[in-house]
Order: sequence, then C-alpha cells, then structure tokens
Amino acid sequence: MNLYAQLEDIVGPDYVSNEDFVLESYAHGITGVGTKRPAIVVIPESAQEISEILKVANKKKMNVIPRGGGAGLLEGVLPLVSGGIIIDMTRMNNVIDFNENTMTVTVECGITWGKLNSFLMERGYYTGTLGPGSGMSAVVGGGLSHNTVGGGGAAKYGAVTRHCVGLEVVLPNGQILTLGSSASKYIKEPFSKWGLGPDYLGLFLGDQGIHGVKTKATLLVYPRPKYRAYKTFSIRRRGDKLWPEIILELRKKGDLGLYDVFYFPELIMQALQGLLIVKDIVVFKSIKERDPKGRAVMFYTMEAETQEALEANQKIVDEIFLNKKGITAFGPEIEDGNIAKWHYEMNGHWQVYHGFWGVMGEKSVPQTGEHHIPVHQYPDLMKKFEKWESENSELLNKVRAMSGVGSSLLCDHTTVEVDSGLTIYNIPEYHEINDKLWRSYLNMIVESGGMPYMAGMRFSRALIDVSAFSDEFYSFMKTIKDTLDPNHILSKGKYYFE
Amino acid sequence: MTEETLKHIKELEDMIRSCSGIGDCREAYMYSVNRIQVCPIYEHSPKFEVYSARGRLRILMSILDRKLDVSKKLAEIFYLCTTCGNCHTICHGTYSDNIDLFVHNFIDHVKVWEAFRADLFEMGLAMPRHLELMNSIKENNNPYFEPHKDRIKWLEGRKFPETAENVFFMGCTEPYRMPELIKKIIKVFDKCGIDYTIVHPNEVCCGSIALRIGDINTVKELAKKNIEAFKKAGAKRILIHCAGCFKTIKQNYPEILGEELPFEVVHVTEYLEQLLKEGKIKLNKKIEDKVTYHDPCHIGRASNIYDPPRNLIKSIPDLEFIEFERNRENAWCCGAGGGMKSAFPEKSVEIATDRIKEAEKIGVNKIVSACPFCEMNLSDATKESGSNIKVIDIFDLLDESLD
Repeated sequence: MNLYAQLEDIVGPDYVSNEDFVLESYAHGITGVGTKRPAIVVIPESAQEISEILKVANKKKMNVIPRGGGAGLLEGVLPLVSGGIIIDMTRMNNVIDFNENTMTVTVECGITWGKLNSFLMERGYYTGTLGPGSGMSAVVGGGLSHNTVGGGGAAKYGAVTRHCVGLEVVLPNGQILTLGSSASKYIKEPFSKWGLGPDYLGLFLGDQGIHGVKTKATLLVYPRPKYRAYKTFSIRRRGDKLWPEIILELRKKGDLGLYDVFYFPELIMQALQGLLIVKDIVVFKSIKERDPKGRAVMFYTMEAETQEALEANQKIVDEIFLNKKGITAFGPEIEDGNIAKWHYEMNGHWQVYHGFWGVMGEKSVPQTGEHHIPVHQYPDLMKKFEKWESENSELLNKVRAMSGVGSSLLCDHTTVEVDSGLTIYNIPEYHEINDKLWRSYLNMIVESGGMPYMAGMRFSRALIDVSAFSDEFYSFMKTIKDTLDPNHILSKGKYYFE
Repeated sequence: MTEETLKHIKELEDMIRSCSGIGDCREAYMYSVNRIQVCPIYEHSPKFEVYSARGRLRILMSILDRKLDVSKKLAEIFYLCTTCGNCHTICHGTYSDNIDLFVHNFIDHVKVWEAFRADLFEMGLAMPRHLELMNSIKENNNPYFEPHKDRIKWLEGRKFPETAENVFFMGCTEPYRMPELIKKIIKVFDKCGIDYTIVHPNEVCCGSIALRIGDINTVKELAKKNIEAFKKAGAKRILIHCAGCFKTIKQNYPEILGEELPFEVVHVTEYLEQLLKEGKIKLNKKIEDKVTYHDPCHIGRASNIYDPPRNLIKSIPDLEFIEFERNRENAWCCGAGGGMKSAFPEKSVEIATDRIKEAEKIGVNKIVSACPFCEMNLSDATKESGSNIKVIDIFDLLDESLD
C-alpha cells in the first residue's frame, strides 16, 4: 500500500491531501525565504491516529513535522527539505476537562490560546500567561514546544511551560506516553509534574518539537483578579539606560502584582507614529496627539485581589517610574494615550507585536531575532546590535532592510524578552540576501549571550553554527534524540539533527 | 499562465505579499470583544490551510512566483468563500479607533479574492452554475431566468412618476423571488411619504453576482445601464434594500468605472433612521416579541452600517431586542454570499445553521435581517434543522409598527 493510501486508512479520506496547492499553502514561512513543499499533509483527530502515522513514517523513514497554528516566526513548522509529512494538529482543539478542584485544565494540544482562554475567562479563570503574541492563532502544543511567552502575563507568570503539569506525547516510534502525575495509574487527576522521579515531562517542554508530538496537556489555571491598573509613560531620553534600572527597582520591591511591563524604544515609536517610512498611518493615535515627536514609551499592567492592594502597589510602581527625570504619564484612558489599557482589556496583548509588521510599508515583514537576556545586559546588547548593523550596512541597503528593537518586555524574574530583528521586504529577488542577513543576525545574538526560547529551525541551527554548545552537551542532546527518535524523522534539521 | 491571465492579482501583488502569516484569519477568539471564530468556510472544512485566508494568500504568492499552476480544483477552493470579509476585520484589526496597525491598511482581502476570481473567470475556470447565472443575466437582466418584464409583476399595474428625488432600486431577488417583501418595502415608503420612483424597464441586475464570480466586463455594462437610468430619473438619491445591490452600487460602481457617482446611494435603513430622528415618522404600534438582528456582511462589515437597523428595531414599543453573541463586525456570515448559495448550496445552509443555533441559544423567536439573501438562506437553515426560529426582514417589523 502506498503512503497516501496508508494515511487515508488512518485518518479517513477527507483529512489527507497531496494536492499541489494544499502542499504549497504549508510551504511558506513569514518571509517567503526558503520555502519547501511537503509531500503530504494529514489532519488527525486523536493520539492513536498520530501514533499510527508515526509508525508508518518510521517504516518509510519519512520526515514528519507536527504543525499547530503555524504562527511561529522562526520556521518551527516549515519543512527544511522538500517532501515529508506535515501533521496539522488543528482538529485536536478541544477542552477535555476543566477541574476547579485541582485548578487545572486539560486540553488537546491543537487548541489555540485564544479559544482556551475564552473558555476559561467565561468561568473567571485564565492560564496566567496567555501564550505568545500570536495567541489568537497559536496553539498550546506549539507554545509548550517553544517555551512561549509574551502574549500577556509574562512579568507575573513567565513562560507557558512553567504551568504545564501533565502531558501526553506520541513518541516518534508511535508509543503514546503520559507524563506528569498521571504517569501513576493511581493518580486520577493530574496536578503536578514532580514526585514520581526525574522531570521527564520537561524533556518535551521547549523541545522545539524534536522529541515527540504533544497531543494532550494539563495546565494550571488561575483566578483572574478583579482589580487591574494600567499606565503608559512617555520617556524623554535615555530609555535604554532607564529600562534596566526601572525593572531592577521594580523587582527588588517584591511582588507588586505586575502582569506585564513593556518598553518601546524611540526609534520604533517614531516608525509607529508616522515619522519615518510610512507617513500616512499612525499606529498609536492618542499618543501621537500628546507626544508628536515619537518619544520612547513604557507601560505596565497590574492585577490585585483588592482595590487597596492595587492602589498600594500602583503607588510604589508609579513612584519608581515618575521619580526618574524625563518620565511623564499619559492619562488613564486609551484615548488619553494609555495603550496599556488596550493591551490588557481589549486583547491588545495578542496584537501589540502586530504593530511591527508593515513598519516599512507594504510587503515588509519581520525576520525576528527575539530572545531573552537578563535585563542589566540590555544597554550592552544595544551596542552589539549597532555594531552588527554597521558591519552589515551594505547588504542591508541592498535589500532596503532595517534592523532594530521593536519592544522589550519583562518575562519572569529579571529577564526581558528583546523583540529585536530585521524588517525586510518580501520580494523574491531579495530572498537570498534576506536569508543571509537573518542567519548572520541570529548568530550575532547567540554570540552576544542572547537566549533563544522559540528556536525553530532558525535559532536551533544558529546555536550549532556558532558552536554555542560544548561537545559534551551536544553529544548528550544527540544521545537523547537518538534514543527517542533513532531514525531522526521528527522535525528533521533542527539543531542539525538530520 | 501569463502576465495577462493573472493581471487582476498582479495588480494587488503588494497586498498579497503584505500578509504577515500570523493566521488570526484562520481562527481567532478574543474574549474581551466577543470575537468567536473567523472564517465560516474554514470552520466547515477539513481544516487544511487552503480553507483559510492565510493559506489562500500563500497560494496566490506561489502563483505569482510561478511555483504553482492554476487548476480547476484550485479554482473551486477560491470559489468556496462567502467573501464575508471577516478575515479582513480580524487581520491586524484592533477594535480601537485609537490604534491602527499597518497591515490592516495594506490588505483588502475581499478585493484580493474577487480579483483572483476575475482571473479565474477569464481563464474559463468559473463554476458551471455561475456561468449559467451569467447567461441569464445577459439574456434576461436577472440571474433567475425570468423575463425582464416580470420585474414589476408584483406591482400589479401601479404606475410611478418619470422622475423623483429618490429612486428605489428593486434588485432582482425581491421582485422575482420575494414579492411579498418588496410590496412591504414600498408600503412602508408610502406610509412614510417618501418621494420616490422606480426605473423599470431601464433597471437591470446590479451586477453583484457577476462581480463576486469575476465577470468584470458584465458588471461594467450593467453599471453603465443602471447609472444612465438613475440619471434619467433625475435622482438625487438611490435607495436600496438588498444588501448585495447596495454594496455593489455604492462601493463597486465607482471603483470599477473609475468615477464618482452623481447621486447619493443610501441603504433604506439609514434613510428611515434619519426620518425617525427628524421626527418625520413614528413607530407607534407595539410588537410583543423577542428578536435579534443579523448583520448582513455587505451592509455590516463592508459598509459599516450597524446602528441604523438596530435603532429602528429598538424604537418599536414593547419589542424585546437581544444581540447575537457574535454581532456587528464579529457577526457570523449567513453563508449565502459570494456565489456560495448557487454553487455550494449545502455548504451555505450548513453555515446558516450555525446562526440559527446561536439564535436559539439567546432565546429569541425571530431573526431580523435586512438582506434577501440572508433571509432566504437562514430560512432554509431553519427548515433543514427543524428550528422554530422565524426569519423576517426589518420591513416586516416596520410595516407592522408604523401607523
């Protein structure tokens, strides 16, 4: 029986396709660079079906790429080479169990963060971290594979992986494995990942999809606090220096209920406010009305269980910001310039990054280099970015590309996510140079001490390209990969596992 | 494929290459703004990427890059779209007047879909049923295979003046398929004392179907004929009820002909709301019922007319109005638009059934709409699903409530 017929047998005829146009729709990344067409796409609806698919793929030694929302910016779901099977997970998008006693939710991993959190918010809960910035489209499985963060709640809850206490994965050999407390047959309700032995669940968190296909996840859920505050500030100068100072001061005050803290440097604000390339679109209109020069902006959102706690914490936080020279606050409403309110109350947390798309006009798209660093390194990192830009100015000019930092946000303890990268034009003639620039940029970030979290195909290879890992570490990594996936069928090419 | 065969999408290449690929057009839920899902086709499909706007834009990119050929099967996928525009609303759409993201301004999704259909039509890849409708429009001035003279059969001999301040554009669906509704519309006009006329026999199909299918040349011809008829009647204002006709004449005619229209084009709900605000009409009679309003895509998302029909409905004494969970720019399409009802009738009704279930969930007795296509398709869905929900037009209510 040929592959198509075998897959058709497993998932039914409606859910497998090798039509050229279907395959082509799975072949693109954000930028159009390096597109490769898979051989077949299959859309299963259960772990059992995925198990069967992987058994078939193993026999035929075919590359398999599990794909969720396809929203990742580092080519986590793109075929590296032509051919192979894409497992589209989006049919597996149900809430399986919401347990208020353990305060957990168990879901199929193809559910989007948006759908899951709509379900939870209706009941007064949320997942804390609301997934990535593309949380409307991105799915839970992708988030757990990429250690995702940034779609809301990063300062308070950190990355989504922190909240995963149970996982069902299908190993590349087709074996279905339950991890976390449910690994014990006597534990009926998953609630923790610790206690039964080593953190084997952790092998599959942030694994970039190389160890197994996530099919079911149990996440901790949290009551959504009733009291919230938001404030947006204009930064007259020295934003890059003030940002680490403010973050460290905030963190040293202990738990202030900060949900998110953001920084938009001056250059990006000018671009967003119609002062640089695109002149007829103003992204944050109410800020422009009050601050026509396009100064840097910082904002925070905050939660508390009581009004008193909220006010007390807000007083401390406001003092930290406003005691700095040159910082002034916008008014309380979105129309006063307080984009923090939009960020929290109108699902702006899933759209705030969308502002960076199109920043150079039509056809301009990002080639991201977003990563984490401890916040005190931020000013030094900016110098490295400038150096890279100057060294690559000729190529950048050739394709009219731009590099820089979009925003930075507090993630977890004193770490910030730096949304740096390139903005390029999606024009076929530019693709080769765009690709070259992207590789060089990611290498520079790794060499600068930046820590990828969503590595995808791009960052995972950059880590190897610049020899970031010791031989011992890479060999250990490879041993695990070989054990779980001896034929290297899963997510072929990441970390150069081919 | 040549540059010539792809000329319509080539013109919109910048839009196509501006797609960010984030995929909110595939599925999006936003608790704070009642956003629940996006694409009715995607939701009623096996969920391959090609059923979402992102997948389709990717395909168009590949076609433009000559990596993919156009085929009949591919064409069918692109005709499987209601052109409801929900993908455009969600694409970098912020729901805030103060925040305006670049890409939302760069891509007009419905324009792209219609441009590619124009290419497909010129390549001879339109759906067979669509071609039959086009033949009828060319022969009869309507897509219903009915004689042109019967467009005013429902008027039972009533005469109208040669000229008037307002022209009521009848369209095809109501005169030929819903005569009771169009009778009610002019009854309401008469009760309101509106100075209007109709331009039969010079009125022809607005061309909405031709445009959605991709037959641009036919739309141009029809547009010229209708505009000439409106001019001849000395109209200052064209009043339109049919949502498809409204969008076509108001938005598409100037785009296609490249010229401003020498008259105003107004949806009847806008006009009547104005009369209500000015105190020229009163909705006095009570209606004891529980209703919701279904936003037709052509007058809602495409034309931003959300409040006038609602204000009219809410002015009716004793009438209880409950919003759909998905309303205004988030409204779920009825499934009939974009040539779907004719080419994929079963899928159309499947989508409409979602709306009927939503209405049942909020506990209303009736769905009110302002579009004959929505009304027909939603009614079909009630029959199919055995629902007790009734689907009516806003003019059913207005007629009942006006003195």
